[in-house]
Amino acid sequence: MELLEREQFLVELEAILNDVSSGKGRFVLVSGEAGIGKTWLVERFTEAHKKGARVLWGACDALFTPRPLGPLYDIARQTQGNLLALLEEEAPRASIFSAALNEMENGHAPSIITVIEDVHWADEATLDLLKFLGRRIHRINSMLLVTYRDDEVGADHPLRLVLGDLSHRSVVRLRLPPLSEAAVEQLAANASRHIEDLYAVTGGNPFFVTEALASKESGVPVTVRDAVLSRAGRLSPAARAALELVSVVPARTEMWLLDDTISPNGYALEECVSAGMLRSDSEAIAFRHELARLAIEDSLTAPRRQSLHHLVLKALLNRGSEALLPRIVHHAAQAGDSAAVLKHAPIAARQAAALNAHRESASHYQTALRYADRLAAEERAALLESRSYECYLTNQSEEALRVRREALEIWKRLGDKRRQGDNLRWMSRLTWFLGRKTEAESHSIEAVAILEDLPPSPELAMAYSNRAQLHMLADEDQEAVRWGSRAIALAEELGTTETLVHALNNVGSAELLAHDEQGRIKLEESLRLALANGFQEHAARALTNLASVAVRDRNYRLASRYLSDGIAYTTEHDLDSWTLYMTAWRARAHFEQGEWDSASDDAGFVLSHYRVSPITKIPALAVLGHVRVRRGDPDAARLLAEARELAMQTKELQRIAPVASARAEIAWLKGDFEQMRDEASFVLNMAKGHDDPWLQGEFAFWVWHVGDAIETQEKIAAPYALQMSRDWRAAAEAWKETGCPYEEAMALADGDESAQLAALEIFERLGAGPAAERLRQTLRATGVRGIPRGPRPSTKENPVGLTNRQMEVLALMTDGFANAEIAHQLFISPKTVDHHVSAILAKLDVHTRAEAVSVALQSGLINQNRERRAPK
Amino acid sequence: MPRYMVERSFPEGLRIPLNDEGAEMCRMVVLNNEEDSVTWIHSYVSDDGKKTYCAYDAPSPEAIRRTARRNNLPVDRITEVRVLDPYFYH
Repeated sequence: MELLEREQFLVELEAILNDVSSGKGRFVLVSGEAGIGKTWLVERFTEAHKKGARVLWGACDALFTPRPLGPLYDIARQTQGNLLALLEEEAPRASIFSAALNEMENGHAPSIITVIEDVHWADEATLDLLKFLGRRIHRINSMLLVTYRDDEVGADHPLRLVLGDLSHRSVVRLRLPPLSEAAVEQLAANASRHIEDLYAVTGGNPFFVTEALASKESGVPVTVRDAVLSRAGRLSPAARAALELVSVVPARTEMWLLDDTISPNGYALEECVSAGMLRSDSEAIAFRHELARLAIEDSLTAPRRQSLHHLVLKALLNRGSEALLPRIVHHAAQAGDSAAVLKHAPIAARQAAALNAHRESASHYQTALRYADRLAAEERAALLESRSYECYLTNQSEEALRVRREALEIWKRLGDKRRQGDNLRWMSRLTWFLGRKTEAESHSIEAVAILEDLPPSPELAMAYSNRAQLHMLADEDQEAVRWGSRAIALAEELGTTETLVHALNNVGSAELLAHDEQGRIKLEESLRLALANGFQEHAARALTNLASVAVRDRNYRLASRYLSDGIAYTTEHDLDSWTLYMTAWRARAHFEQGEWDSASDDAGFVLSHYRVSPITKIPALAVLGHVRVRRGDPDAARLLAEARELAMQTKELQRIAPVASARAEIAWLKGDFEQMRDEASFVLNMAKGHDDPWLQGEFAFWVWHVGDAIETQEKIAAPYALQMSRDWRAAAEAWKETGCPYEEAMALADGDESAQLAALEIFERLGAGPAAERLRQTLRATGVRGIPRGPRPSTKENPVGLTNRQMEVLALMTDGFANAEIAHQLFISPKTVDHHVSAILAKLDVHTRAEAVSVALQSGLINQNRERRAPK
Repeated sequence: MPRYMVERSFPEGLRIPLNDEGAEMCRMVVLNNEEDSVTWIHSYVSDDGKKTYCAYDAPSPEAIRRTARRNNLPVDRITEVRVLDPYFYH
């Protein structure tokens, strides 16, 4: 195919490669429907740079369960050396990924171009690799070219997460459009053919056009499949047989595989190649396009297809290589060979899990389970348990639970109490994760009861710790400490470190929630042990609990340190669900400090992920809903209704309270006292006996606002207590100290006229429309004159109207910090920094950072002689 | 995608000249909006230029606020709206 309407993309790739050679690494995404010419474009481009650059090539394939890190194996076979060695010895993933990055960085050629094709089929480990590379590519002078079919990447496709996660500064997206009508006509003319409706039927898809032109039929074949079959129909029987065998092998068919199956003669292959159906190099043969392979495979009768798969299976088994396992499982399942599936699928599953390709591991177990009725009950139960664990790790909690339950039934029939207890403990964890507290509790109690009948076991220690965790999460501190201490004692006696780490975390968190600083020591100890032993999830949980307790204590300085460390840790280790959970907590911290843009960015980021667990979704919904309430933005009530429904099922105070608080505030703004009373009394009843002065204060305050008597026995945080004792001045001061400007303004609004005007100014600055409007009405009703009518120019902190935050960002820009560093310094997301920078450029009416810095210094907006932070 | 009516105040009065400069101003706004999938449909401007009512298609109120920030535009109030067509009732 000639260079029709693809020149601009080649030009663009050239320009990117130039950038890359000057040290700016780029992640290039080439997308488009099947047959649009992605591979063609990439091949053309790399061909042109064969001499000047080193090209590494890997591809994902269409196996039912893809090969973990398949494309990286392809690449390693080209690089040899360290990368291949690490892959073969199944080294830890972190070192494999670093080696891959090294290969992309240190070549003898001036630039390295790495191609990974068809990532819409990528296995989980490869997706993680893409994330890993995407986060680091800007630091190395390398070009990563990735192709995928965008029409096969739906909203819930795992690739979405990766694409969304890529930092946009180093990413370039090229989407290939269909050919125009003129280009299609040109192609037909070049082939000296005229076909009626060629453009209309093919929609300008280059592969379809080429196939139609090659089919030699008079009219246009209605589908790609017809075009391909018509072309294949002209082959000799021997060539046709070779073509059919190759069609059941996703990815490339190695020459040895052909020889070991049907050993076709050279002429047959030659015929397929010259007919344009197959392409070959010295090692392997493959269809020119996956669409053609599918067309041929689909045209085979079921028995023929099955026998071809059998042939391939036998040849692969004879070869006896570990790396072939995923392909062996694929062909065994397609051939319907249950003995082969049962033998190889569990091994492939363990191999995939070792590479952190947990989705593929779960899928292999599922394949095995389909043939498992002939296995002994114990073996079947073990398969179910393994599948459940892999599903749990990949956020498929419902399926994990269903499979656990099946395993539990088997152990019940077999009378194995220890396994029953352990499965019940797991079901407790899973139902909690799904936000179903009542079930979680009853499973937890049953697990302990069954295991206590047996001699002390590691399973029992873990069941104790699970009970402690449920109590801790429900703010039942004393119960949490009681069960957790049993777990610690037993774990120490039996020497099970992981359970010890788990239990120390639960007891530590519970103590810290009860304001016992001993808890911090236990939590830090749990964190230290987790880090030392490589228990990444436990380390993430320790950091999360340290952070969330600090947020609940409104100790924002401490919270921001733990959140920043925690998010850095979980991001580094790709523990995405923990990153999201902590981001939701960071959203709350931003919100309470009046940083509503950052709060809604964080909450929006969490909610934009599909399959967020309810536990993470609730706080994000609560923050976003609350921001909208305070801004007077639409649709707050719907978000909060959803949050409430999810929160009620968790029965946990820490989920329910923030939602109730936002709903009480809606009621307050509407003057609906009944509703305020309901929300507040529900939470206060639930919180009876809880030592959480901020929470007690927050809801007592709503009751006080209604005008009801406060009958609480609990401790109340000072700012709320001052406010309710009508010492608005001290209350406002205390809120300011705490760092909560909205609450500060609420206190000032109870004060004298000048305090009220100050409150109005804060509300205006925050963008708190409804509260400002309410206060304005009060002021008018009391006859105050000269009430500002809206955001006044004088409320702006400086002549060009930059907010405090924007001034901070500008100062750091002036000191030469990059956005990522600014984000780190200010504990906000890089995306938020981007927004601030854009706003600063707009307000200063300049186009570049350099101009902004020079304007800032010249105009005296930023003082040249101030104290600086040095860029790292 | 939901539709929103966004009210804005311009104490100094809003002036978009009917020339290349005005065209460029609008183009910048539209480009900035694109990043957040926000579409500016059109606006009604009060006679004195101090108040505007702008119709937008946007994924969320936050997207409207983010783009307003980028465009350095004020936001007084965001209301989610639906179209009512009087001639539909013929």
